[in-house]
Amino acid sequence: MIIEVCGPGCPKCHATKTNVLKALQELGLKDGEDALVTEVKDLKMITVRGVFMTPAVVIDGVKAFEGKIPSPEEVKRWIEERK
Amino acid sequence: MFLTLLLAGLAALKDYIALHVVTCLIPAFLLAGAIVTFVSRESIIGYLGSAANKVSSFGIAAGGSFFVAACSCTVIPVASGIYYGGAGIGAAFILLWVAPAANILALVYTGSILGPGMVAARLVAALSVSFVVGAVMLFSFRREEQQRALTIPATTRAVMSKGDIILLLLLVVSLLAPNYAIRSGPYLYKVLVWAAAMAVVVVYAWRVKSWEEIKGWLTETWWFVRMIFPLLLAGVFVVGIIGAVLPEEWIETWLGGAGLRQSFLATIIGAITYFATMTEAPFVDTLMNLGMGKGPALALLLTGPGISLPNWLAIAKVFGMKKALVYVPTIIVLGTGVGWIAGFVLG
Repeated sequence: MIIEVCGPGCPKCHATKTNVLKALQELGLKDGEDALVTEVKDLKMITVRGVFMTPAVVIDGVKAFEGKIPSPEEVKRWIEERK
Repeated sequence: MFLTLLLAGLAALKDYIALHVVTCLIPAFLLAGAIVTFVSRESIIGYLGSAANKVSSFGIAAGGSFFVAACSCTVIPVASGIYYGGAGIGAAFILLWVAPAANILALVYTGSILGPGMVAARLVAALSVSFVVGAVMLFSFRREEQQRALTIPATTRAVMSKGDIILLLLLVVSLLAPNYAIRSGPYLYKVLVWAAAMAVVVVYAWRVKSWEEIKGWLTETWWFVRMIFPLLLAGVFVVGIIGAVLPEEWIETWLGGAGLRQSFLATIIGAITYFATMTEAPFVDTLMNLGMGKGPALALLLTGPGISLPNWLAIAKVFGMKKALVYVPTIIVLGTGVGWIAGFVLG
């Protein structure tokens, strides 16, 4: 699973990444093994992913969250529903 | 010398905190949080995206941008999003300009500090500038425009529900009422009016909003506080020092009156420096007390939050150097012109 956190590097983007990592941990997934969390900071690369509002989370090419900081629970729910 | 400067900065901070935090900033941050939480940006983007490349799209773009409260840097992803999604270049650059220069939050906040005259001027000036900018961008890149396709899904969803509109209006009232209803008398009166207005907001929010929604709203508000409040304090501190360093005659000579040169200087200061949304109002207020003219003040109010050096670079990177080279000088020319004209009208 590839999880991309899109955002220019603002405090909200960091909070988003923290929540994503927390969700992975609670699911028992290891960053770097079961999942790969990356940051996408370049605005053009963000736009190409169909994201208008940052922070956004793109999971395996699908836009999961946009324009808000998802809570760890929301990220968990999203991943579990699609497993 | 150093100590006097430090003290001047601290004195400005003390005044600012004593007079503005409760009656201005708390409602302003709550309003900002409410806009982010309750106004559907998806549908605004939908409207902007579907706006064809006609002059009629300019109105939609300007009106929609009104509700996107953002600084000059945070608005860039949104503008580039609608542009690469296929919205007209005119609409994209209008958003890029209006959202930071004349969003509802900045306008209301300007009103509570600088009075209704400056707000009306700011609104009219920002909108006229936006239409000219849209037209200039559209004309300069008209050939490129014909080859782009629209990928943004059209939307029919409402931008916000009726209940949310009422909540937003109540917040606007609570931001304006203390500063307009009570113009003289002890500060305590303002606080009382503020408390009454806040009580109405709280009761209304409690009745129409679920706890989840209120929590989301308060979280967003807290983010605004964390991001803007330190900048605001730093800005006020710097202004306090500037006020102590610069002799009043300087400000009167370089920024006073209604001359073209004064407007140009104010525009350049605003165009280069980064002002987070809302920080421009206390800055301009201090300079006006020191003798800045109304025209140059307006120019600074617009270009201060509207563009900044980091924002030029980001625009060049995202939209291309050519578009930045058309956009930035256009704004500088228009800012100067608007300030110059406003100097005569308001003066």
